[in-house]
Amino acid sequence: MQQYSLLLPEIILAGLGLLLLALDLTVSSKRTLAVAGVIGTLATLAAVVANFGAPATEIWSGTIRVDAFAQYFKLIFAVILGLVFLFSGEYLERREVKVGEFYILVTFATLGAFLMASSLELITIYIGLELMTISSYVLAGMLRNDARSSEASIKFFLMGALTSGVILYGLSLLYGLTGSTHLAEIAAGLAASPNASLITAAGVFIIAGFGFKIAAVPFHMWAPDTYEGAPTPVSAFLITASEAAGFAALLRILLVGLAPALPQWQAVLAVIAFVTMTFGNVTAIVQTRTKRMLAYSAIAQAGYVLVGVAVATPESVSAMLFYLMVYAFSTIGAFAVVIMLSNHVPSEEIEDFKGLARRAPAFALSMAFLLLSLIGVPPTGGFFGKLSLYRAAVDGGMVWLALAMVLNSAISVPYYFNVIRNMYLAEGPSTALGARPGLKIALGISVAATLLLGVFPEPLVGLLRTLHIMP
Amino acid sequence: MIGDMVQAYLALSGILFVIGAAGLMLRRSPLVMLMCVEIMLNAANLAFVAFARHLGNMEGHIFTFLVITVAAAEVAIGLAIIVLLFRERDAADVDDVNTLRG
Repeated sequence: MQQYSLLLPEIILAGLGLLLLALDLTVSSKRTLAVAGVIGTLATLAAVVANFGAPATEIWSGTIRVDAFAQYFKLIFAVILGLVFLFSGEYLERREVKVGEFYILVTFATLGAFLMASSLELITIYIGLELMTISSYVLAGMLRNDARSSEASIKFFLMGALTSGVILYGLSLLYGLTGSTHLAEIAAGLAASPNASLITAAGVFIIAGFGFKIAAVPFHMWAPDTYEGAPTPVSAFLITASEAAGFAALLRILLVGLAPALPQWQAVLAVIAFVTMTFGNVTAIVQTRTKRMLAYSAIAQAGYVLVGVAVATPESVSAMLFYLMVYAFSTIGAFAVVIMLSNHVPSEEIEDFKGLARRAPAFALSMAFLLLSLIGVPPTGGFFGKLSLYRAAVDGGMVWLALAMVLNSAISVPYYFNVIRNMYLAEGPSTALGARPGLKIALGISVAATLLLGVFPEPLVGLLRTLHIMP
Repeated sequence: MIGDMVQAYLALSGILFVIGAAGLMLRRSPLVMLMCVEIMLNAANLAFVAFARHLGNMEGHIFTFLVITVAAAEVAIGLAIIVLLFRERDAADVDDVNTLRG
């Protein structure tokens, strides 16, 4: 029975997906679905938190591993799912998206992310990855009247399918080299295996494959198009949850499975991190559409997080886990404001932010605060997250990478400030804008969490210190 | 005897993977690209099965079954997306799908 209590978060989430499916067929009010979704997510969160203290356990012949690392990622995913339930309703109704299907798919995509984080077994990681991405392909194409949405969907699908082929081939090489699909046994097998060229090939396939997933340069070309064309709540979900799930799996595979071969990859990963953040920031400056700007900003942020993978010390891993949490809250909050605005002004240009400070002062202030967090200005969580990544890079002997992060934060200032300038200094229409309570709550939670993580980071940092990725 | 042939199977799987990847890069019809993806997945399947036979354990076989199942789901979704695309703009060529730029 203990097995089932350890699996309770996944069981609740799967049950929630099925419940929403049934409710979608029987209930006419779509708000009921969102309420059910929020309640289900809260139950999942409670189950995740309840499992936090438990010692690391592997159940079902090692296919599922429940440890603090997995619980931490599940916490991030569940929070994102809850916020998506809260802020999507009005947008979906205005754009005539099938609301029920959206909620169901986003729930199952989160379930896939849960499975990706909670295993050391390649089979489970692969199934979780596919559950998440296949649901996301459909989500990206849900604006059926909008040609851009189906374009986003086909590009995402073709690149995503290519990605899973590449990852799968890398996994098959790992299996062939070691005779096991369990990452701990793979690590032991690789340490004993003399076949360096095949190990390198497996590493190339896996880093390239997950590079696509987290939109690292040079594997990023699908990301701006997909994030721009997809419905805005879906973009928010993909940029945060899907990316975090990619990082969870990448961390497990690189730092546990490929650990014996890791030193030869650190330099490569550091270069990828550097190119990713620089390219993302420089390209974001010239964007005029909000979602595209946020997409390139997400690429740059993925570069910062990759620093934690490249340095590969326990400090850098806990710094990047902290940063992923802050990043999820800041980005989801920023998207809540974008969704509020696009409910009234569907064009989604950065120009639309003109005069927002007078039209919706609270939203403008929140947006400014969240953008400051993405830049990394105190007292936001983003500042503390970047500081700890920076410190971990210096301690890990990659001073140049730390310097590159600082320079990149400076490069990123213009495009984030462009939005703030438009909100506060530019003249715009003066009609007041409002939103439903759900969106306001989601924005409030995001802002409060970003602020709390910046002012009182200690509890979370202390928790992360106790968290081990290794078995 | 089969164990001795593992290299031949792996070579075949490598060739299939390259054919799939090259087709995905070079061909422009979304349907053909979908088929190329399938070839890539089957290249990985072949590698899994060959390794499993060579090593004499079951994980590779199980992985292959799951991959086949997932690939079927993936194709179903992919075809649906392609139908959606055709309905909107009769696009038989992914180069015509280029509204999103910047």
